[in-house]
Amino acid sequence: MEKCREILKNRHQYAREWKKRTGGKIIGYYEPYMPEEVVYAAGVLPVRLLAEHEPDDVTDRQMYGNCACSRDILNQFIRGRYDYIDGIINAEGCQWMLNAFQTTLNNQPTLFNHYVFVPDYVDGKTSKDVMYSELKVFKTALEKWVGKTITDEALDDAIEVYNTNRRLMRQVYELRRADHPVILGSEAMDMVLASQIMDKREMNQILKEEIPKLADRKPVVDKGVRLMLIGSETSDTELEKLVESLGANIVIDELCTGSCYFWNEIIPQFDRLMAIALRYLGRPHCALKDNNWRRRPAHIHQLYEDYQAHGVIIAKQIYCHPHGTDNWMIWKFLRERNIPFHYFERDTTLPHEETRLRMEAFINMIKPDLVYK
Amino acid sequence: MVKQKWETRPLEVWNKAKELRAKWQKSIVTASSEKVLLAQGNVNWAVGFPALRVIEDNPVGAMMANRNDAFSRKCRLAGEIEGWGREICGYQLNCWGAMYLGHLEDGSPFPMRDMVIPFPDPCDQHTKRGQAPMDYSPIPRWQANFPLYTGPRDPEREKAMIEDKVQCTLQMIEDIERIYGQKFDDEKFIEAMKLSRKIHAYAREVSLFMRNIPSPLSVKDLYSFYTIGGLTKLDPEETLDLWKSLRDEVEWRVKNCIAAVGTERYRWMETHPPPWHFLRYYRYMEKYGAVCIGSQYSHMMAGAFEFTEDGTWAPRDMFGSFEDKPIRTREDAIRAMIGEDARGHNFKVDEVIRPYAVCEFARAYKVDGAILPLWRCGVGCTVTRKEQGLRLSQIGVRVLHYEGSQPGDRTDLDENRLLDMLDTWMESQGLRKLED
Repeated sequence: MEKCREILKNRHQYAREWKKRTGGKIIGYYEPYMPEEVVYAAGVLPVRLLAEHEPDDVTDRQMYGNCACSRDILNQFIRGRYDYIDGIINAEGCQWMLNAFQTTLNNQPTLFNHYVFVPDYVDGKTSKDVMYSELKVFKTALEKWVGKTITDEALDDAIEVYNTNRRLMRQVYELRRADHPVILGSEAMDMVLASQIMDKREMNQILKEEIPKLADRKPVVDKGVRLMLIGSETSDTELEKLVESLGANIVIDELCTGSCYFWNEIIPQFDRLMAIALRYLGRPHCALKDNNWRRRPAHIHQLYEDYQAHGVIIAKQIYCHPHGTDNWMIWKFLRERNIPFHYFERDTTLPHEETRLRMEAFINMIKPDLVYK
Repeated sequence: MVKQKWETRPLEVWNKAKELRAKWQKSIVTASSEKVLLAQGNVNWAVGFPALRVIEDNPVGAMMANRNDAFSRKCRLAGEIEGWGREICGYQLNCWGAMYLGHLEDGSPFPMRDMVIPFPDPCDQHTKRGQAPMDYSPIPRWQANFPLYTGPRDPEREKAMIEDKVQCTLQMIEDIERIYGQKFDDEKFIEAMKLSRKIHAYAREVSLFMRNIPSPLSVKDLYSFYTIGGLTKLDPEETLDLWKSLRDEVEWRVKNCIAAVGTERYRWMETHPPPWHFLRYYRYMEKYGAVCIGSQYSHMMAGAFEFTEDGTWAPRDMFGSFEDKPIRTREDAIRAMIGEDARGHNFKVDEVIRPYAVCEFARAYKVDGAILPLWRCGVGCTVTRKEQGLRLSQIGVRVLHYEGSQPGDRTDLDENRLLDMLDTWMESQGLRKLED
């Protein structure tokens, strides 16, 4: 557990050491729709670009009104923290990340770059054909860049490594589901975040060693308030830790940097790229791509029930338009089911005292319900 | 008092535009009594259905902001109470806020939509567009993609994207026929497609005439026309007549040196919609002899232009060889409508894949300055604005940014401060008011 936390904390150092050790290239990516398996099969390490949430005084010249996540990624590039990145990929998600991608290229035009169009209408009849076509173009671009062919064997290996990681992370999340969880929300979230910046093969090794140890642990929280976290992407576990300090535990999340990152596997088929395309289109809908076929509310509800949560925290990043537009539907559906929820907006940093007060009030509001149950 | 250099006179066709716009506005509220289905969206093919009217929430929300600040504020608050973020597009908050309230500004019932046919666009708000009415009262909603990629055009890459667009459109038409029992009139659609080319050609000419010094129109004039045939859907024949009349009148104005601003000595541009509740700043700038010639946004009916290798300012025609192809079937017409370039050509695509296009526009329209709004709400209205400012500065265009919420949202715009900023900015360029 500590290993994941350490790697996450020193993620730039990890990437630099990986590069030194393997001599490989590193790709930075912005959105969870990036088909990592194709990159991994090319022998390149895909690293999710995560925000640091530090006050920023350098991106104002290029950006206005962006969410803190997209701003901070640009901030880190300009400050040179991502000096080990050889290329950047944007697989179409939200517009702010596209903006961060483009602006980074304006600053560092020599980086290898590629834009993968991911249909917003993920359930459309022909969307899989578009995604498939995009993956073929992407694969060709990568092959040209690395100077070698991405073989079916390499794709099979990458799919297996990634699917293994997804299975292992599901095991970790299964431990959160227990009546008396042996793992805290912040610990699980650290593991998911670490898996997005690490070589999955190494991560799998760590998980294989850690999961049996976790299962032998004593419950970390005894009959506390069980909460679910949903909303915009996040790249740290400050909120989870704060909630834990108040005697509650986040037992499940529906974040694109959390459970949605690993929830569904690739179902292998002869055409590897089609298998990958279907996996990314079939992943839990993000707020942006939850369009006419609404799957997000049902998915949230199922997780809520399965993990026996007592309430929901909706944490929206300020200026996050997909969630800002989706929220009212989520509020409506939670209200209709009498599910208690607390909505708050994250900014660049988490105002500790204010957030503590609000979380404490929310948790205290739920506690009497538990007594009556 | 400075002597006027050129004659000015109101546009004769302006009243006709007002009349048509009012007709469109009225058609929203009368749809139900006319037994016409009302769809949230903006698609050209809707003309093929005998009883279907498409209404996009953009012009509705903009009009609400312009006409009644108190009511649009109430609507936005209703949206916030329901859970919408304050930084969400003001057009949507105005329009759907009225839906939550259940009435329009005059107290009449809100015209509920019968279906949603979204208007794909790179803007995230457009992607989510129309979900509010769908989630509020269960009505069918369709979706289509807006394909995008960076870098040079790649026709090979676009094949699947264009096919996706064609199939989505065919599917939507078939679904509407099946669900609502309306027969789609292919002939009417094909005819409308052909007419739309002609409308487009007139709009292009109007846009080109505005390069003239003095400009025959200011953007404030253009705003009375620019959505007609686009976001404001009317009878195609009537639309064509209007654009033809406008083209003829503008041509005459150019020949006779009739100016939008009689004292024109400074030309400025914008990049996105203005604050619809505060259009007064255009008139205020005229006191300096400054005319606003618009933006890539306000010239969108004309399509996208570019400098060719020989230095001429020419349209970037995405329809290309389709001009010579016969349009016989529904699918032919859909393909003609989509064109050969999957990414399309509009100002918003330019922001993403041709960021230099803003500078080309500035050069083509001979602008001296640019006033670029920084909208806090609605991602598509803000993205790349700062970078556009930097690019324009690099080619010698003086840039002024001002902050506000969104063109349809008055909340954060300090109007007096904006006017003060205009004074300081113009004076810093050595210009004083010609009259007060």
